[in-house]
Amino acid sequence: MRRFLRITLQSHGYRLIEASTAQEGLLQAASRNPDVVLLDLGLPDMDGLEVTSRLREWAQTPIIVISAREQEQDKVKALDAGADDYLTKPFSANELLARIRVALRHSIRGRSGRPEPIFVFDTLRVDLSQRQVFLNNNEVHLTPLEYKLLMVLIRHAGKVITHRQLLTEVWGPAHAKEVQYLRVYMTQLRHKLEADPARPRFLINEPGIGYRLKYDPDERASIK
Amino acid sequence: MTEVEKKCIFAQTVDTAPDGRKDRSSASLKAQQAGESGWAWSIVTVSLCTGIAMLTYPAFELVDVAMIYLLGVVITASRTTKWPALLTAFLSVAAFDFFFVPPRLTFAVAQTRHIVTFAVMFFVTLATSRLTLRIRQQAEESQLKEQRTAALYDLSRELVRERDMDKLKAIAEQHIGKLFDSNVVVLLPDLHGRPMPPAREFPWSEQEREAAQYVFDNRQPAGSNALTGPDAVALYLPLIASAGTIGVVGLRQKSKRKLEPEQLRYLEAFINQTGIAIERALMAEESRRASVKAETEGLRNTLLSSISHDLRTPLTAVTGAVSTLLDADARLDRQGRRELLETIQEESDRLNRVIKNVLAMTRLESGVLMLQKEWQSLEEIVGVVLNRLGERLNDHPVTLNLPASLPLIPFDGLLLEQVFMNLFENAIKYTPRGTPLELSASEQLFTVTVEFADKGPGIPPGQEERIFEKFVRGGTAGGGVGLGLAICRAIITAHGGRIWAENRPGGGALFRFTLSSAGVPPLPEREE
Repeated sequence: MRRFLRITLQSHGYRLIEASTAQEGLLQAASRNPDVVLLDLGLPDMDGLEVTSRLREWAQTPIIVISAREQEQDKVKALDAGADDYLTKPFSANELLARIRVALRHSIRGRSGRPEPIFVFDTLRVDLSQRQVFLNNNEVHLTPLEYKLLMVLIRHAGKVITHRQLLTEVWGPAHAKEVQYLRVYMTQLRHKLEADPARPRFLINEPGIGYRLKYDPDERASIK
Repeated sequence: MTEVEKKCIFAQTVDTAPDGRKDRSSASLKAQQAGESGWAWSIVTVSLCTGIAMLTYPAFELVDVAMIYLLGVVITASRTTKWPALLTAFLSVAAFDFFFVPPRLTFAVAQTRHIVTFAVMFFVTLATSRLTLRIRQQAEESQLKEQRTAALYDLSRELVRERDMDKLKAIAEQHIGKLFDSNVVVLLPDLHGRPMPPAREFPWSEQEREAAQYVFDNRQPAGSNALTGPDAVALYLPLIASAGTIGVVGLRQKSKRKLEPEQLRYLEAFINQTGIAIERALMAEESRRASVKAETEGLRNTLLSSISHDLRTPLTAVTGAVSTLLDADARLDRQGRRELLETIQEESDRLNRVIKNVLAMTRLESGVLMLQKEWQSLEEIVGVVLNRLGERLNDHPVTLNLPASLPLIPFDGLLLEQVFMNLFENAIKYTPRGTPLELSASEQLFTVTVEFADKGPGIPPGQEERIFEKFVRGGTAGGGVGLGLAICRAIITAHGGRIWAENRPGGGALFRFTLSSAGVPPLPEREE
C-alpha cells in the first residue's frame, strides 16, 4: 500500500514522509509540517479518530482518511472529528490525486481567508455576492434553506461533508440526526440543478457518510 | 378477627375491577363493618327476641319463649362470626332468665329445674350456632376455591397465548401483583446466572439482589415472610421449571401483613404456572437460535469452499500477467504490455466485487440486527449505483422511471445500494451488449415496488425461485460466486420486503421487490 502511494505520488511531484505507526506519524507531522496528511484507519497503535483529534489540537493540516469499505462508522467519526476527506480501498491513483488537489486548494484558500465570489462548475454558476444561482445562464430560484445547503456544499467544494456537519450548519445542532431533512432537500436541489437528478454530476451522495459537491480544481481549470 | 381478614384478602383477590387499590379499601371497610356489626347484631337480635317474647309471653309458655331466643341465635350465627354468636347465646340465656323466668326482672331462679333449662338452652344455642357457622364457612371456602381456580385459569390462559418473553413477564407480574396486592417482578438470570435487576419500577438494593441470588442458587424462598435465606424488603420465590430454577419472582406487599401459609401455597401455584410458560418461551428461543446457528455454519462452509475458487481465478490471472511483465518486459511490445495491464485491472475489479459480496453476505449472516435504517431516497441510491458502475454500463442504456412523488423509505442505505448494484451487475453479466435496462418504482398502500427489467435471454423456466439460492449461478457466463441474488433476497427479507423474478412476455427477465414505506419521517416545515 505504501509502496503504491510512494510511487504514484512521487511520479506526480509530491514529496512523501512515511510513518508506520500513529505515534511516529504524529511526531513526523509535528516536526516536518506536511501540507496534507494521508491517514490509514488501520493503524496498529491508535484508532483513526484519536489520531485525527490529536492532530487537530494544534494543526489545521488537511487530513485524508484511507479505509476499507466496512468501516463507515469509523470514517464518519474521523470526519466529524476534523478529518477533511476520505478514500475507500481499493481506490485508483486518479481519485487519490484529485482528493489531494482539493485538500491543498482548501488549505491555501483557508490561509488567504477569502472565498471566491463566483463559483463555477460546468453549466452551474453561483454568484455568492449577489446570492444568485445560474444554470445554463438561466437564473434558478432556490428557497433560503436550499441556498444555505448549497452554500455549505460550495464552501467545502470537492470534500465530503458528513450528514451531521451539514445538518448542524444548515438546521442547527438540534437537528443533527434528522438525515431525512437532507434527503428531501438534496433531492429538491438536484431536481433544480441537475440535468438528470438520478445521474447527478455534482451533488453526489456518499452512502452512509454524507454528501460531496463534486469539484476538482484541475478539471475546472481545463473546462474554463 | 383473623378469619374476617383472610376472607377479605381472598374476596378481593377475585375482584376483577380495574382498580385494585380502590377495591381493596372498600373490601377492608366491609370487613371492619362486619366485625363491629357482629356485636351489634347479637345485641339487637337478643333485644328483638325479648321484645317479641314480651308481647307473646302471657299467651305462650316459657318453652316457646326459649324457642324464640333459639331462632335469634341461629340468625345471628348465620350472619356473624364465632364470638358474636357465642355472645348471643349467652345474652339469650341471661335475658330469658331476667325477663321471663320467675321471679321476673331478677337473675334469681325460683325453681332448680330452670337451671337445667338454662344449661340445655345454652348448649343447644351454642351447638346450633357452631353448626350454622361451619356450614357457612364451608360454603365460603368452596366459593373461594372456585374463585382461586378461576384466577389461576385466567393467568394460564393468558400466558399460553403469549410467546414474547417480556410480555409473559408482564402478564405474570400484573396478575400476581393484583391478586396479592403487591408489586411483583419476574427476574431472569443473565449469562452468568445472576438475576438481572428489575427492568420496571421495583425497590432494588444490594440486599434485595443478595436475596434474589440466594433464591436462584438454593431454590429456597428468601426475604421478608420467608423462613430461609437472607432477609430483604421483598419476598423472593424461585421460578422452578423442569430444567431447574429459571428465575426468581420478587413480591413486595403494599400492606405490612404477613402472608398466611395458605396464601403462600396459592402464590406458589401462580408462580409455577409462570415458570412453565417462561420455560416454554426460553426453549422456543433456544431452538430458534440453534437452527439459525446451524444454518450459518453450513453456509460458512459452503462459502469457504466456493470462494476459494472464485478468488483464485482472478488472482491467477493477475499473478500471471504481472510475472510476464516482470520477466519479459523487454520482449513485449507496447500493445502486449497494455493488454496485460488491462487484464490486471479487470481481474482486480472482479476480485474486488467478489470480496465485496462475500463481506456483505457475512455481514448479513452475522447479524441481521445490525441494520442501520435511515430514511433513504430511492433516486439518490440509484444515482450512487449508476455513478459507481460508470463505464461498465456503457453497453446498456438504462431507462429510469422514478416518480418524484416517491416517499422516503426506512432502509439501510449501504445494503439497498448493494441490492441495486447486484441487480445491475447481474444484468451486465447475463444480457447481451446493447440491450436496454429499465428501472421503475411505484408506491401503493405504504409499499414501494421496484421493477428492474432487462431484454436478455431471461431466466430458464422453472428456475425463477432457485436463482435466489446461495451458490446458484444463472448460467455459464461471467462467473461469480452465485451470491448476488441471494444477497439481494437476504437484504430485502431483512427489511421485511419480498423479492422475486419472472420472465417478461416479450423476452428478458424482470426482477421485482417490495419495500415498506410505512411511517412518516419528521420533516422540516415547508418553505416558500
